[in-house]
Amino acid sequence: MATDRTAEVTWHGDLMSGSGRIDAVTSGALGNLDVDWRARSEDGQRETSPEELIAAAHATCFSMALSHGLAQSGHPADELKTSATVTFQPGEGITKISLHVSGKVPGTSEDEFREAAETAKDNCPVSKALAGVPDISLDARLEG
Amino acid sequence: MPRLQRSANVRWEGNVARGSGAISAATGAFTELPYTLASRVERPNGKTSPEELLAAAHAACYSMSLAGELTGAGTPPERLEVHATVTLDQVEDGSHRIVASELLARARVTDVDAETLNGLAATASEGCPFTKLIEASGTVTVKATLEGDPDGD
Repeated sequence: MATDRTAEVTWHGDLMSGSGRIDAVTSGALGNLDVDWRARSEDGQRETSPEELIAAAHATCFSMALSHGLAQSGHPADELKTSATVTFQPGEGITKISLHVSGKVPGTSEDEFREAAETAKDNCPVSKALAGVPDISLDARLEG
Repeated sequence: MPRLQRSANVRWEGNVARGSGAISAATGAFTELPYTLASRVERPNGKTSPEELLAAAHAACYSMSLAGELTGAGTPPERLEVHATVTLDQVEDGSHRIVASELLARARVTDVDAETLNGLAATASEGCPFTKLIEASGTVTVKATLEGDPDGD
């Protein structure tokens, strides 16, 4: 069955000096998030941006896919910590995504964990949707 | 312009069917958003999902792109409302795939007719980096209306 998720944004004014707001999403989990060009194109901002939301979507999707793969192989994760960093080159687009994951997974080896992480990176739906990104890198490490 | 980086962190506990995760943005704009498999493929019950975050990213990206196109045409918008709906579906091999993102824009802008708006709305989608990416996996459709038009309000 298909699942739809909607987000609503209102924008005022032009691109450079105007501003927008993510008003609402289907689940209600987030809303009233301000966005503007400065937040997107300068460092040290406290507002979100499309690239930050893509980073959040990718880290989220990857974590689920990896937890599934690990459970399928008989070693469910106690905890996975994933970060995704999206690199945006204005005028060019998204040029790179770096995924870092550290996991507490009883009974699995470093190699098995890395292999499961590579599979999750290749197959999660957000990875497939972002397949046009020139460089998606992965660093996977087992904890203790 | 220099390259920019934006990061997010996720903590997941347990397996996919019964586990749960929490999502935080590096800017602090949102923290510890909960999500589960059920919130992704069933009723959301107040929890977000990767596809919802993509919908938010696409709507935010596209509204900026359309503001840029309208401004470039000499008619900066007073207000734009953009809805993005991302569809996740099971495909033939049984895996899940993001098959579509549908953009609906409603513009309050003077001295622009519906035809011009539609042209700029299509250009804005082509100029939005996220549209280009998602087309690797699914289709992107755009519909734009002027506030006050019978089709719009």
